[in-house]
Parts: sequence; structure tokens; C-alpha cells
Amino acid sequence: MQKEESLMDDDKGLCITGIEELDIQLGGGIPTGSTVLVVGSSGSGKTTLCMQYLINGAKKGERGVFFTITEPLFKLTKNMEGFDFYDKKLIESGMVNLIDLRIISERLGLDTEKYTVEDASALLDILRDIAEELNVKRLIIDSITALCYRLQTPEMIRDFIFKLGSSLAAMKCTTLLTSEVPPREFKYSQYGIEEFISDGIFFLGDVERKGDLIRTFQLVKMRGANHSRVKSAMSISSKNGIELAPLLKSS
Amino acid sequence: MANVLIDGLKERISNAIKMNQSIGVVLPGNNYSDLTQAIFERIHSSPEEAWVYVTVTKPYENLTRQFQYLSTDKNIKFIDCISRAAGISKEGTNVIYIESPTMLEKLGLEIMNNFKDLDPNADKFLVIDSLSNLIIYNDPVIVTEFFYHLINKTRARDIHTISLAIEEEGMSQHINRLIYLNDKILKVRDSFI
Repeated sequence: MQKEESLMDDDKGLCITGIEELDIQLGGGIPTGSTVLVVGSSGSGKTTLCMQYLINGAKKGERGVFFTITEPLFKLTKNMEGFDFYDKKLIESGMVNLIDLRIISERLGLDTEKYTVEDASALLDILRDIAEELNVKRLIIDSITALCYRLQTPEMIRDFIFKLGSSLAAMKCTTLLTSEVPPREFKYSQYGIEEFISDGIFFLGDVERKGDLIRTFQLVKMRGANHSRVKSAMSISSKNGIELAPLLKSS
Repeated sequence: MANVLIDGLKERISNAIKMNQSIGVVLPGNNYSDLTQAIFERIHSSPEEAWVYVTVTKPYENLTRQFQYLSTDKNIKFIDCISRAAGISKEGTNVIYIESPTMLEKLGLEIMNNFKDLDPNADKFLVIDSLSNLIIYNDPVIVTEFFYHLINKTRARDIHTISLAIEEEGMSQHINRLIYLNDKILKVRDSFI
């Protein structure tokens, strides 16, 4: 593979998403090693944004892994194949790794419904091991909500996300965790904990204009970045993937 | 007589866009066909230029049926804002459809994206057909905000804009405000040339 300039700007310690307007809003990119919560309701574009972030990194030489809990792998790839940014060769070459976390849980002998402290610890170890072995610089968990559902207490949730974030930060791995929330509710997670542990929050919502639903994006939080808080309109197209534009205020 | 009018319109527009970044054209409804013919003939005769034509007035299918060369000309891209809302969509290599004329942010994005697909070294031109029809589908205040954003973007990227406004009796203050954002206003009359 031709050595190209990594998207990770080492001088500034930023992980460039490759989504132009998003990188501008972030002040250049996500601070390397951060854990970002990508919040939205069903169909808001969380998975697409995460995949585009992963693929953009892979195209520039940064290996990534996508852990799915909510969607079977065959469905995930089928849905992504419609996008021009999706490159099957990156999957085949191992630059992008798609892993079904439910299968891992089964192989570890974990209860599929509720994890004990030991189960959570075992899962954490395997996630860290995979990230380390593959030398991953970008990691996605889709969704952290589904994973937290299996953790029995708020303390376990807090502990899990904190330890995961810390381990991945040490590997300079920048992580996106998708968080499912009900539509039109201004909350960042189901359990009210994830957003406090995360370094950043991307909120994907929508506004209604004359009966049409316009997708929106807002950078609520990003530790260590001089970021914009402007609400943007978000477009998802097969040709260009995710694009952001200033939301007209006279809505 | 019609040819004289169309040739006159072509010349007037060509001169105006040479000297001004953005022009607003105010025209009576019965001159709409003449003006669009003049613009399309100018586009067709200038393959070295790059044009993006936003239509909120007539569907792409209708335009290309009337001016058949438009569907194959390589120097123009259409953005059709009304066909999908009306349940029509004729596929074409030089057209993209916006689901609704209310999706103004999407329209702004696609305008810029389309210029990326055209020759980057060519002189760039954008036609908004028309501001009056955008106001039919949207609140005038939001169209004004959209147009401010668009004019600033096109000025920054050296894209010449031609915005059409259909003149009605007692033209609304909103259309007036919009059209006067342009550097130059042309008022079309049957006998103006």
C-alpha cells in the first residue's frame, strides 16, 4: 500500500474525520484518543456517520474496527454498499474490520441478556485485545446502548465505558459509540451516564419544516477542542455520504 | 420579432454577467419562455463555460423536451427541485433531483457539489429559476436567508449568478429585497431592447 500522509495529524494530535464541515466545526478533527458519543434516534444517520469516519481513516492508512451489536454483519454491509465512500477492498484487506459483538459474547460464554461484573471484564479485555492486536486507530461500537442494556447497574456502565475509553486512549485510538435515544427527546443516552464519561457528543436530530423532516447535526461537546456549537443541516446521499451545511435559522 | 427579442436578451445577459458577479432579472410572466430560451442558447453556444441551472419552475423533463440539446450538453448540470414533489423523475446524466423545494440547505449543498463535477478551470455560472417560485414553497424570510448565504458563497468562489424573478402586479417586498441583493438588475420588457 502506498504510504500516504496519515489523516491523523500528529503535530496537532487530531483525528480527521474526513467529513469536511465536521472537521471545520471540530477545529481540525477529533482530539486523538477521545471517546465520542454519537447520539440519535432511529434512522438519524449514526451508523452511516461512523462507517464513513472509519472508511475515511482506512483510506489514509489507519486501521479501524466496527463492533456491531444491533445489526447483523450481512445487513450492515448490504446497507453500506449503496454509498460511494464504501470500499469493499478495505474490508478484504483488513484495514476495516467488521465484528459482530454478539458472536464474541457467545464464544466467551457470556449470558446474552445480562452481564455480570466478570462478564463485563472479560468483554472489556477482548475489546482491548482486538484493538491492540489489530493496531486499530479508529473504533466504533454500534450501539453502546445495546451493550449497556446488558450491564446491570449504572456503576457497571460507568466503569465499563471509563475503562474502555482509557485503554483505547492509551493506544491513541479514537472511538465513536452510538447512543440510541427516542425521537424528538433532548437526551443523550438511555441511561444518563454515557455522556458524562465521553469526551465528545455528536447529536443527530431533525427539525420539521412545512411537514418535511430535515436532518440536523450538532456538536454538543468535545473536550480539548475549540469547537463550534452551531446546529447544521445534515444530508446523507449515496454519492457524497454525510454532508453538513448551516441550518437556516428562520425555520 | 421573437428572434430579435431572444438575441437581444442573450446579448444583454452576456454583457451583464461579464461586468457583474450577480444579476437579477425581473421579467413579466409572458416573457419567461423567451428569457429561458435566451439563457439556454447562451449555454449551448458556450461549451467552455460551466453552468448549474436550478429549476423550481419547470421540470427537467419539460425543459429537455423543449430544448433537446440540454440533455446531452456537457457544460450544464440541472438541479430539479419540483419534479420529485410532483411525483415525476426522468433520469438523466446531467440532472439531480431535490425531494422538495423546502430543502434549501440540501439545495445549497448540491449547487456547490455540482460545480465540483464541472471543469474547475471554466468560468462558472449559476441560474436560479426562480426566486418567485422558491417563495411559493417557502416562507419569504427563509428564502431571503438562503439567498444571502448563497450569494456570499458564490461570490467567494467566483461563481456568477443569474436570479430570475417573475414580475407581478405589486411585486412583493420580499422579492424586491431579494432581487436587489444582486449587483445588477435587468428588467425585461417586450420592447426593452
